[in-house]
Amino acid sequence: MRPSIDGLNRNYVKISKVKLFEFEGRNLFQKEGIVIPAGVVISYTSDLEQALKRISFPAVAKVQTLSGKRRKRGGVSAIQSEKEARDFVDQFLGKDFEGEQISHILLVQKIDIDYEYFLSITYSTVEKKPILLFSASGGVEVEDAPDMQKIIINPENGINADDLASQLKVSSPKKIADVAVRLWDVFVHADARLAEINPLAVDKNGEIWALDSKIILDDSGLVRHKDLNILDKGSLSSIPTDREKRAKQIDKDDYRGSAGSVYFDLDGDIAVLASGGGASLVVLDSLFNAGGKPANYTEYSGDPPAEKVAKLTEVVLSKPGLKGCLVAGALANFTDIYETLKGFCEGVASLKNKPNYPIVIRRAGVNDQKAKDFVKEFSKKEEINIEFYTEGTPIGKAAERIVELAYK
Amino acid sequence: MVLVEDNSKVLIQGITGRSGQQVAKQLLDYKVQVVGGVTPGKGGQEVFGVPVFNSVEEAIISVGKVDVSMIYVPPLMAKDAALEAINAGIGLVHIFVEKVPILDTSIILSRAQEKGVKVLGPSSVGLITPGKVKIGSIGGDSPNRAFSAGNVGVISRSGGMTSEISLQVKNAGYGVSTAIGIGGDLLIGLTLSELLPEFEKDADTKIVVAFGEVGGSAEIEAANLLKDGKFTKPLIVYIAGKFSETLPKGTALGHAGAIVGFETTLDEKKKILKDCGAIICEDLSDLGGLLKQNLNI
Repeated sequence: MRPSIDGLNRNYVKISKVKLFEFEGRNLFQKEGIVIPAGVVISYTSDLEQALKRISFPAVAKVQTLSGKRRKRGGVSAIQSEKEARDFVDQFLGKDFEGEQISHILLVQKIDIDYEYFLSITYSTVEKKPILLFSASGGVEVEDAPDMQKIIINPENGINADDLASQLKVSSPKKIADVAVRLWDVFVHADARLAEINPLAVDKNGEIWALDSKIILDDSGLVRHKDLNILDKGSLSSIPTDREKRAKQIDKDDYRGSAGSVYFDLDGDIAVLASGGGASLVVLDSLFNAGGKPANYTEYSGDPPAEKVAKLTEVVLSKPGLKGCLVAGALANFTDIYETLKGFCEGVASLKNKPNYPIVIRRAGVNDQKAKDFVKEFSKKEEINIEFYTEGTPIGKAAERIVELAYK
Repeated sequence: MVLVEDNSKVLIQGITGRSGQQVAKQLLDYKVQVVGGVTPGKGGQEVFGVPVFNSVEEAIISVGKVDVSMIYVPPLMAKDAALEAINAGIGLVHIFVEKVPILDTSIILSRAQEKGVKVLGPSSVGLITPGKVKIGSIGGDSPNRAFSAGNVGVISRSGGMTSEISLQVKNAGYGVSTAIGIGGDLLIGLTLSELLPEFEKDADTKIVVAFGEVGGSAEIEAANLLKDGKFTKPLIVYIAGKFSETLPKGTALGHAGAIVGFETTLDEKKKILKDCGAIICEDLSDLGGLLKQNLNI
């Protein structure tokens, strides 16, 4: 059974905003000259016959997931024959795997491994710099490896191969340092927040191979990598929901302020349009505390124009079965409340089905009095029950109010 | 006062842009000494009477020493603008810009560290010492709505919540010594634990309220300061994002730094803070009561 993407599940897969599949990461590795075993991606059953012509056995088949634990759970398998390859594809492609629907399978040449290393570049929030992590004992559970080396990188200089080689505690430091320089190139050229090879393997002939890739990109860097061919990922799943795609598109089309760049569906029935990265957390916490069930998480902030809020409103309120809507944020510093709430009203007005549920707004800041008058007029004209509160009513109280109205 | 003085001289990089002009007006209205602005190619113009220069260097040659530079440029130009200010040796660089790529931020912060320059942000709404000075867009065009002068320091990852908390402080009958929005990005310049010592030194601050979010280790670093006796005033911490702990680990929320489940859970954070002597505010509506209890000791 495939769990609902809308569902909240504590054991759900570990996903970030722009996390790449292994095969996407391999493409980036290849571009920078990191050696990877020959492989083919199977996205449809019909890809299999062509794939089999390009791969010889023994091979390894791997489900493409965004969670890290696929090996433990049987998603990686040695393949000795065409039949085994077919069986693997039949078993996994399009099916549920630990909460993720498998849309791709990677079939790669098997490498005879002599040693396994761990090599990773990410950011240290304490040092505020990139940091290289290396362990001579790669493989699973490596995070706890006692020999993990942590080497801070000056982001302006990058990695110097000779310097790094002299620091690495391993028998062939030059080879590893060479890969590290290339991994740094991946990290910088793709604006990654994590670029990791685990395992980085040495075969019986002393050749070095990247046998897996784990890459997470920086959302703010995407704008300078329009050429990166990366599949859209969801916030809670590897495949974004339709509403999520539509919400994310809003910021892609218009750089002013932000609206909908983070959106995900939740199990409840009170639609949420929150404002601000911090306040949006307070809004959701408050709604849960008040006994409300949010239908989604999303936020707009940074003074977006009315049309962006209108589009986000349409997305958020397109969810069926809503019992209420909460529009809330902190006392805004510079977001124009009139402009953004005008956008909200435009979004509501453009809905096919006029909301028959109550709406509670809690906004304060620039032009809020004008906004209040506008919303009041709109509410009367459209015959929609909208209550408007400003700074005198805390976010928590507004949350309680929508719960009271929605569930009465 | 914290980080700035009431007569600090301020430069605005990107002053001719929409938000640059807006903030220039707001600062002038607040009687801040805006001595110049910078927009390459627009030197010689004026914005609300403030002279515009082609470069930071040109500005300093003309107006003399500058204490603070504020960056109001498009995201991909933030790095070059900030480096210009850092290289010119301006002591505090405030980066209002949102969506700065992390790599650019790390380069800015690395250079700032080498040059001994303090960076506030990116994605920082700014700071305010009510009635005296403000940096950035904090409080917008009506700062008195949320901020009244007093003895409560406010430090927040979120710009909106900086104002919201300060408003709750005001509504409880108190005021703010200095309120600072430090920004919600993964990497930021001045962090909670780097600012607490500044508030420790500040004679006007008797208590500090910090707004944190799920994810990161900033609050744990702050807890260590308390434990080591480096911050001795009462510290009230409110951490948002409880709801998100039912989400998958690794889910990124509105702020790039708010990522579910890495490092420590929210409850672990709260426990560590409590054990080190911090006061946990579970709900914003409790804030007034907590201030009352801890200010009257």
